[in-house]
Amino acid sequence: MAEILQYVHKDGFFHRLTPFSKIAFIIVVSLMCIISTNLIFLAGLVIAILIIAYVSRLHREVLQQSKIILVMSIVFIIITLITMPNGAIIGFLVPQGIPLIGGSIPVTQGAIEIGLILTFRFMILIFAFQMFLLSTQPRDLVHTLEKMRMPMDYILMFIIALRFIPTLQVEGIRIHEAQLARGYNPGTGFTGKIRSISPIVIPLVSNALLRSTVLGLTIDMRGYRTGKRTHVRESTLQHRDYGVLFAMVIAGAGYIVLLIKQII
Amino acid sequence: MIELDNVSYTYPHTMQPALHQLSLTVKKGRCVLVTGPSGAGKTTLCLAAAGILHHEYGGKKEGHVTIEGRDVASYATLSELAKTIGIVFDDAEAQMIFTTVEEEILSALEYRGLEAGVIEERLASIIATTYLAELRTRSPHNLSGGQKQRVALAATLALGNDVLILDEPTSELDEQATRRIVEILNALKAQGKTLLLVEHKYAHFHDMVDLLVVLESGTIIAKGVPEEVLKEERIKKIVIPDFSGVRGSLKKPGFPERDAGTPVVAVQHLSHAYGDILALDDITLDIFAGEFVAIVGENGSGKTTLVKHFNRLLSPNSGNVVIQGKNTRTSTVADLARYVGLVFQNPDHMFFADTVKDEIEFGLKNLGIADGETIIDAALNDVGLMYTKSLYPRWLSRGERQRLAIACVIAMSPSIIVLDEPTTGLDGNEARLVMEILKNLQIKGHTIIVITHNKEIAQHCADRIITMEKGKIISDSSLRGI
Repeated sequence: MAEILQYVHKDGFFHRLTPFSKIAFIIVVSLMCIISTNLIFLAGLVIAILIIAYVSRLHREVLQQSKIILVMSIVFIIITLITMPNGAIIGFLVPQGIPLIGGSIPVTQGAIEIGLILTFRFMILIFAFQMFLLSTQPRDLVHTLEKMRMPMDYILMFIIALRFIPTLQVEGIRIHEAQLARGYNPGTGFTGKIRSISPIVIPLVSNALLRSTVLGLTIDMRGYRTGKRTHVRESTLQHRDYGVLFAMVIAGAGYIVLLIKQII
Repeated sequence: MIELDNVSYTYPHTMQPALHQLSLTVKKGRCVLVTGPSGAGKTTLCLAAAGILHHEYGGKKEGHVTIEGRDVASYATLSELAKTIGIVFDDAEAQMIFTTVEEEILSALEYRGLEAGVIEERLASIIATTYLAELRTRSPHNLSGGQKQRVALAATLALGNDVLILDEPTSELDEQATRRIVEILNALKAQGKTLLLVEHKYAHFHDMVDLLVVLESGTIIAKGVPEEVLKEERIKKIVIPDFSGVRGSLKKPGFPERDAGTPVVAVQHLSHAYGDILALDDITLDIFAGEFVAIVGENGSGKTTLVKHFNRLLSPNSGNVVIQGKNTRTSTVADLARYVGLVFQNPDHMFFADTVKDEIEFGLKNLGIADGETIIDAALNDVGLMYTKSLYPRWLSRGERQRLAIACVIAMSPSIIVLDEPTTGLDGNEARLVMEILKNLQIKGHTIIVITHNKEIAQHCADRIITMEKGKIISDSSLRGI
């Protein structure tokens, strides 16, 4: 089973960078995609990230998210079509030929653009964070965040939240199977669906709570919270890291210039 | 050395003490094995001995615990205690924090104030001791139960402490994985480590155990050299499961008849793969009404994958599975639940209701049975749990929860009952009780299929033994002939 957002052991460009360079990359890329409203620029950013993923041999893992991104983009576009009609009308969501409701919900150019902007932003953020998490061992991340003076308890909290994802994934499947074997039939309709959640959610949460007790004790009993750390195999900034950091500075500065000159 | 002196402990919001006036000394370099029924207080004893109870838990505490001559109360924090004592919990998965095996061990080593060179040396030695060299770069989450236990043990060994507490390290492991843990612990004992071990599999450890302790209801009921302790029959039954006579004699009247007509389970050329891994390879098998079948084999041999096809939790990649004349390809899981009841290894995956009664009723409602009071009572009587009817299922002991899981399934009255490792985490008496319940169900006309690592169960309870290896059936023998 593919684990969601977990480190994958590989020897690629992104894996060889220090977490610090990758954090810089994420910050610059995230800021650019959040601030920008230029469709072509955002599309270019998506392509650039996919190229980096390909070079770093992470494209297969990154593209695994295509299905959810496709669903989300359709949802974004439908929402913007309904709530933000703007500009020239290209057509109608409900074809005009249909009696009574035909011709409602116009498909406008402006709404599609906003929908696409949201989709591209979503893709950039998901791809960038995924590449970061897939290529960074939690140990290195702890180390970098420690150096950035983040409190240890918060770092551990972040690591544990990530670490629990595959556990809950597997546990959820097992519980679902156990209930299906008892003839469990997920309800129909909204209330039915809500009511039928409890046979899955209650064991999942109860087991996770028990597990978190053991996990908490393990963290304490291995001395992670207070012990002084000897850093071995410490990743230091290499030429490639300076290259990436320099590229980020150039990209950031270039972006600001383009913004000021109102080119994008 | 660990010393518990007259220790009593009551958990918050409970009346009954979990430990009662318990005194125990684990001498330096010795191995003490603690066993007893589920709910006897074995895990609480581990927590007390590690000083965790004192530092992390509320409730009422009495007596003294000293580790290496120092009272646990004098340690400021758990992290300070961790410099003296290491503990491995039974839930290996919960102890996997990092994303590769090596990282898991290395991270524990980095907090010991050692020189970088020493850390690398110690890492290599721990990996060698725990046979983890080939798994260095693997994600701990994707390992088997036995491998995870070895990683948890390795990370604890990284602390470099001489005193180790292990709470049921082999409970969910097969024979081979258990032997490997025993081998590692033997090596650790030879290195002079002090071991406090909670285990149900005494037989695997008997060569290394110096002191055997049997716990019941929070009290030590037997303590001493194993040979002496095991002289008492009542104690022996707790420590060493004895399944002899459960099956009964085929020649005696009343032995369940096998209906050799149409098979209730017909598996025809079944293959199933998880990605590139072929889990079942062209399996053909007929199981007949009234049989008590044991499916044995090591972890990963395909046992669970096979039985999940019986109620369509898995669909065949090729071949067919026919349950009482119905091809599973054209049936739903809900339909098949009427014919096949499946009890998984961990009963905690199913319990969600507020009372035992509601828990059993859930299955009945799923089948459309509205008034199931009599059925529920009958099911509870069958498994000897009538006294728990209004209790919260998760408060029951592991043995009781296992029996409740069986009750939930038998209330739905399926003709075929499949159980995956039904004796995991149970003491000798509880394990035998579960197998006797299954035998009675066979006498009542159910077909019983048990997946087990335990060869004793297969030999003494089943009348047909199917052995699997690498997705194939390598032997199939029945007392009545195939």
